[in-house]
Amino acid sequence: MNRNTFSYKLRQILMFAGPGTILFFAVVVVPFIYGLYLTFTSWDGVSAHKPFVGFANYAAAFSDGAYWVALGRTAIYSIFAVVFINILAFALAYLVTSGVKGQNFFRAGFFVPNLIGGIVLGYIWKFVFNRAYVAIASAITGGMAISPLSTTGGAMFCLIFVSVWQYAGYMMLIYVAGFMSVSDSLKEAAMIDGCTPSQAMRNVTIPLMRSSFVQCIFLSITRCFVVYDVNLSLTKGEPFNTSVLAAMHVYNQAFTYKNYGLGQAEALILFIVCAAVGITQVMIGKKGEVEA
Amino acid sequence: MKKSTVKKLLVAMLSFAMIFAMAACGGGSSEGEEASSEGAAGALKIFNSKMEIQDVFESDLASAYEAEAGVPVEVYYSSDTVAAHLSTKYASKDPYAVNMVDEKDLYSLAKEYGADMSDMDWVKDTNYAVSVDGKVVGYPVCVEARGIIYNATAIENTLGEKFDPASIKTLDDFKALLDKLVAAGMETPTSVMKEDWSLGAHYLAQFIEEREDVDGYVASLKAGEAKVIEDPKFNALMDTFDVLKDYSMWKGQEGSAERELSEQALAEGKIAFMFGGNWDFAMMKDFDYTGGAGMMPVPQNLEDDYTGKLVGGGSKYFYVDASEGTSAETQQAAKDFLAWFASSDTAHKFVSETCGMVSPFGSNTVTCTDDLGASVKGFADADMLIPNYPGFPDDHYSVIGAEMQKYLAGQCTREELATAIENYWKAQA
Repeated sequence: MNRNTFSYKLRQILMFAGPGTILFFAVVVVPFIYGLYLTFTSWDGVSAHKPFVGFANYAAAFSDGAYWVALGRTAIYSIFAVVFINILAFALAYLVTSGVKGQNFFRAGFFVPNLIGGIVLGYIWKFVFNRAYVAIASAITGGMAISPLSTTGGAMFCLIFVSVWQYAGYMMLIYVAGFMSVSDSLKEAAMIDGCTPSQAMRNVTIPLMRSSFVQCIFLSITRCFVVYDVNLSLTKGEPFNTSVLAAMHVYNQAFTYKNYGLGQAEALILFIVCAAVGITQVMIGKKGEVEA
Repeated sequence: MKKSTVKKLLVAMLSFAMIFAMAACGGGSSEGEEASSEGAAGALKIFNSKMEIQDVFESDLASAYEAEAGVPVEVYYSSDTVAAHLSTKYASKDPYAVNMVDEKDLYSLAKEYGADMSDMDWVKDTNYAVSVDGKVVGYPVCVEARGIIYNATAIENTLGEKFDPASIKTLDDFKALLDKLVAAGMETPTSVMKEDWSLGAHYLAQFIEEREDVDGYVASLKAGEAKVIEDPKFNALMDTFDVLKDYSMWKGQEGSAERELSEQALAEGKIAFMFGGNWDFAMMKDFDYTGGAGMMPVPQNLEDDYTGKLVGGGSKYFYVDASEGTSAETQQAAKDFLAWFASSDTAHKFVSETCGMVSPFGSNTVTCTDDLGASVKGFADADMLIPNYPGFPDDHYSVIGAEMQKYLAGQCTREELATAIENYWKAQA
């Protein structure tokens, strides 16, 4: 059979890439373009009529103070969460590759939080903060402790804490793979040349693991920017709407306040911000990547 | 068969299997099984948005109607937001014939899609039908009202004397009773929920609803003319709110006030009063309920036409779809069902006994099995309900609810709250 003809190649492409491409178009590209169209309408999400309003929704999005506050809050949340997720994940990965007894058990254990869905996880931690923490703290201090979820800073702290707990185990796996990819012989050579273990880690292992860092930071940034499930079940934006993150604001705008077009425009801005941050980070990260 | 042909076949089968598996996943996750509406041909499709009655609606009522009228009925429920779910049904040109929605949704959905039911008999049998653009499109399913929920058993056990809710007319009466309860050993006799819908849409909304010209007042708020802090109604309600807050089981930890725990405390008689509505009974009856719960108006030191009344009215509404997706025969079948639902004994028993809901129809004389519902029915029959105001913007409960939460937690003064309310309305102009 001649494998060099156009029809053969086309059939091969259709067979292997066709299903994926069709699905990608159906569930990503088409809704995206349709969503883009909706940002130019004042649709309420229900009506059969979608009046065209031009750029009015973008103007409204730029003057929606609550949205920008939520976006700023999301940035702060993401910075803290990304830093702590990656520090913790790296430390855990180091721990479970250093040859401690039962390290496979620990790997599985640290990964488990990631298997619990965000909604359930939020409810579990809500119970911990609202009931268990309050009961224990009240018993210890003898006074009446208040739940951290009921204070402005406390709610944000809880959100960050739960996100770190949820994602650290997942990122740990990527770091574990990074650690394993660095050949022992390189570390040994460095040690023979007089490096201390910490110098070998800093100057040999970490530079060779750069791609793990790039991946983990990219994944954690993009996830944090669009977090919704934990936000909904853990704080629901309370207290006094001070823990409403960008995705929740967008959802409320589109579905609860019935400004679908405006919500969609705000979602698009969120997407652009998120994509810009993610791509910039990957480009910077990739630049200095070294190969062993 | 050649080896390569077998391989090709296998690959083709595999890729088809993948597509179908993924398509199946996609279809399944966007709509639950219960929400798919491809039922038997000729069946009347009803969308129910009261989750708590879905089981009995499907089993008891649907089969009863089929037996009596010979028309099969299929009842659907979706865990999605009502408007969002129905808009997907309209988008796919597969609407339900009868749709149960909140009053707010009538002004968007039924305005566009609702059938005119003005000439139907049930309209004369209720005070709660909703008209949009001069046409009756909203058919009330039940009546719900808000006010102070009391637990008479708890009060009587603590004080050792009979409790008559009608004796509490003013805030002073209420406060005196609370002091007596505290003296008799019930340390914290009240509770206030922290939910934004309860604080914003239910409690604070009363100061707008309890007046002669609600639309006029809202217009003056939008124009920035009304001074909320000088409003006697606002101050009377906030004075009562302060008292509820002062005697609350959550005093000092208002931000942690969980609804379930408040309802449990009230049901079990650990506290005596809570601001809420008759829907709270669904939860209360599941705890060690002492019996003797009822509803009374929010006591205020301001005597006016609204003293002694609860705020409430129709809660869920049916509308009949008149879009092109529903044929004239199906629309008629839907109207027949609603006529039966308003007038037949079976439906009356279903509403008042099985579901414990307050019937909006005067001809329904079956006693409501739900204690708070029975209490509300008393007010409704005596025409002592102040209507809900349907004109609040969609974000009102959230924005104003957040301001009330601040006030509840002691993070803003009454003046600041009043200013926030004024600013909110000015921004709506």
